[in-house]
Amino acid sequence: MTSDIDLSCTDLNKNFGSYQAVDNVSFQIPRGSFFSILGPSGCGKTTLLRMIAGFLEPESGGITIKGDSMLGIPPNKRPVNMVFQHLALFPMMSVADNIGYGLRRRKMKASEIKKKVADALERVGLPDVGDRAISQLSGGQKQRIAIARCLVLEPDVLLLDEPLGALDLKLREHMKVELKKLQQAFGTTFIYITHDQSEAMVMSDQVAVMNNGRFEQVGTPQELYYQPDTPFVAGFVGESNHFSGQVVGRNGDVVEVKTASGQVFHSIERIDTNLAAGDEVELFVRPEMIHLSFEPENKPENALEGEVANILFDGGNSRLLIREATTGAELQVVQPQTTQFRDVKAGDRLYLSWAASQSHIFRARGQSQTPALMQTVEE
Amino acid sequence: MNAFSSSKASGKKLALFLLLTPFALHLFFLILLPHLEILNISLRERVSYGIYKFSLMNYEAFFTEPLYWRTFLRTAVMSILTTAITLIVAFPVAWYIAKVVRGRTKGLLFLACLIPFWVSELVRTYGWMILLRETGVISNLLQWAGLAVGPVEMLYNDATVMLGLVYTSMLFMVVPLVSTLDGMDDSLVEAAYDLGGNGWNALREVVIPYAMPGIVSGCIVVFMLSLGNYLTPILLGGKDSLWFTDQIFTQFITRFNWEQGAAFGVLLLILSSLIVWLGLKLSRQSFSETMGR
Amino acid sequence: MISSIPQSRAFRGTYNAYIALFFLFLIAPLLVVAVFSFNDSLFPSLPWMGGTLDWYFSDTPERQGLFHDDAILESMVTSLLVATGVTVLSVLLALSNAFLFERHDFKGKSFLYSLMLVPLVIPGVILGISVLAFGSNIANNVEDNWGIYLDFLRPGLVMVILGQFAFISTICTLVISARLRKFDIQLEEAALNLGASRFDVFRTITLPWLRPAIVGSAIVAFLMSFENFNTTLILVGSDAPLTITMFDRLRQGATPVLNAVSVLLMVVSGLLALISVFVQRKEPGQ
Repeated sequence: MTSDIDLSCTDLNKNFGSYQAVDNVSFQIPRGSFFSILGPSGCGKTTLLRMIAGFLEPESGGITIKGDSMLGIPPNKRPVNMVFQHLALFPMMSVADNIGYGLRRRKMKASEIKKKVADALERVGLPDVGDRAISQLSGGQKQRIAIARCLVLEPDVLLLDEPLGALDLKLREHMKVELKKLQQAFGTTFIYITHDQSEAMVMSDQVAVMNNGRFEQVGTPQELYYQPDTPFVAGFVGESNHFSGQVVGRNGDVVEVKTASGQVFHSIERIDTNLAAGDEVELFVRPEMIHLSFEPENKPENALEGEVANILFDGGNSRLLIREATTGAELQVVQPQTTQFRDVKAGDRLYLSWAASQSHIFRARGQSQTPALMQTVEE
Repeated sequence: MNAFSSSKASGKKLALFLLLTPFALHLFFLILLPHLEILNISLRERVSYGIYKFSLMNYEAFFTEPLYWRTFLRTAVMSILTTAITLIVAFPVAWYIAKVVRGRTKGLLFLACLIPFWVSELVRTYGWMILLRETGVISNLLQWAGLAVGPVEMLYNDATVMLGLVYTSMLFMVVPLVSTLDGMDDSLVEAAYDLGGNGWNALREVVIPYAMPGIVSGCIVVFMLSLGNYLTPILLGGKDSLWFTDQIFTQFITRFNWEQGAAFGVLLLILSSLIVWLGLKLSRQSFSETMGR
Repeated sequence: MISSIPQSRAFRGTYNAYIALFFLFLIAPLLVVAVFSFNDSLFPSLPWMGGTLDWYFSDTPERQGLFHDDAILESMVTSLLVATGVTVLSVLLALSNAFLFERHDFKGKSFLYSLMLVPLVIPGVILGISVLAFGSNIANNVEDNWGIYLDFLRPGLVMVILGQFAFISTICTLVISARLRKFDIQLEEAALNLGASRFDVFRTITLPWLRPAIVGSAIVAFLMSFENFNTTLILVGSDAPLTITMFDRLRQGATPVLNAVSVLLMVVSGLLALISVFVQRKEPGQ
């Protein structure tokens, strides 16, 4: 079992002065998987990555790669390589010299280096750029060279520090797919850190959501999206409508919640299984889970009424911004692209409903860390 | 529309002309013509009062009189040595300021590097004289510590001249080095380590090539300053310091032999241009990019 | 190396010690100069005879303090005059050159730019003799042909100013050009768009942007002129600037009054340096 684990971190801690950057983080990454660490800036993900690379020493805890402890091992002796945020390609060397740099450090024969470099260039789809200067490459080409420079060393783990951040949107979308394909082709374990949930979701086998130095949840993109464990994950991953309220009663595992403005919602409890009357809770509903109709539904578990305040047209991703009738709060709801709803205008009255199982309920955490209502977390 | 754009264009032309005039005046009357004049003077021989003829006599004198060409070579070699020593001494300091310390300390250390150079070279050299002479501070310290029996004279030798030149040139090496190293992303060094490199080859393959523009511009300035220095060799080297600028000064001012002095000046200028050109060629840097920063 | 690369304790210790030694090396000569200006002795050397302010304020034939030494005070005034002249000329030319090279495109621009930089690699002594020779040549010709005496082209303060101006202006040009290069031209366009005239734009937008560079380059020019020796030595006439006077004194055998002058110079330069740091720190938009 352990032989299938490439990287394992146990109880890692790192602080800068009184600031706890990484707080008791443990995880294991199976061989050959694409693992992302997703979190807002300042959450400690870069610190974590730099500890794995060897540029920072943890205060306590262990890092093992293929079963060998990495503590006290300098960065140039670790079987990990890193693609830096700004790539750190050596500007005074040619592309081929950049890729060959690590091989030369291993005292490999020049002829062999040449072959390996050519092979690496071939594999990243840039067979003819070896003699070029770094400054002659496009943004996407630089990405691929930076990755080739690491992969040619056949590291056990490749670390990627938000390398797509500097690219424009179109190229970023393209590189997401490209990175995933590269990872599959090389079969190397990738650890990718990012603050962009879409990058993490699209590419990863597993994603860890990090906040305030801790892992909130580790899981597949689907698990994070459909079964968030914490209010932070529910708010950070994907978009959600958010309500705060108090438990007023329960029926089996369906909890009844009343908001400050008097609305009553029902939700199935999943994480906290012992919510009782009087507990402060937070409730999340994804925009696509809300059912729209022009007539009131027959006894839905959750119902709201409102009028269309704005139409946020974005092709298949179009949303309606609906102002709730009693409180004036705004909700985002996916606009169904059906003939019935395509012609909705601002001011139309609509009925909203969703099942108790389609919302997520969490016990409120003292000072709420969750994103504000409807906040879209992307950049 | 045409009238507008043409009036705009002529306005631009006028502005260009107005800006070119002071530049051209300065360049022609203070740089180009004076140096052509020197070249002209160096190529003539005085026949009688106010009568001159073309001659290479002054250059012949340089090559036939060993004192002249030996002084010339000596000045060149010592200036090159000074440049090398200054680079070696300054590089770790520049690295320390650019990469090791952060924030306030960094600013303070950088300022501390500059402070000695806000007072004149004369004062700095005077300070070294007080330290190094027979009755000076270091001599006394050595005697006090029992490391020397009698007074030690440390002035008036080549090593001291070099020390003075290195000291006086330090700023012009540290500043360009700090500014290029400052521009280097730390992650380049991290990447070199990450890919299996160690300190030595990260320095050789990544840091030094990156810092090359700063190294070259620092070396050129230091070399020029040493070659053209007059004060330090005279004061620290004493009467027999044999620095080439001293020869020029002697010919021009003391002996009033402008023809010979001019020839020396031209030769020194040729030597310095040659070495600067060579330095730029070897490091593949361009003159305006290296100097104009 | 950098902080994220692990280094042995011994290496770090050695490195720190080296840096400390380096700064000791930098400061030592200045320190002894300053300390010995307070030595109650006729010579600026050990032994220490106790502290005194004689070398600043005393007025006896044996000990003429700095503030009673007319030759030194006079040469200070001369240096001030020269430095002021050089500064004004250099900054004006530098401004003009900065606009010429940063805002205009013309044939042979890069060649002329290289020529502009040439004074940086001409040894000061050679610059001195060439300006001297050229000045004399013109003066001789004018004298022979028209009988007019152009005394200012003979060794003297005007020639000293011109000789120093020849290379100090290049340094000022570099400082001001660097600042102008960072200027966002859209700011000028915005001002024009808001109804300002070309001159208004220059006065209210561009010049304030350049102000730190102008002040900085003026201070640099002033200090460089004040402490220039090589070029000055060749071009100087009967009125000697301070460095020349001090050099002569030094060769005759120094008294601690030279230390006192040096201390005064350090204080003034230090103040000017502080001003320049202060001005740079207040830079708008940085």
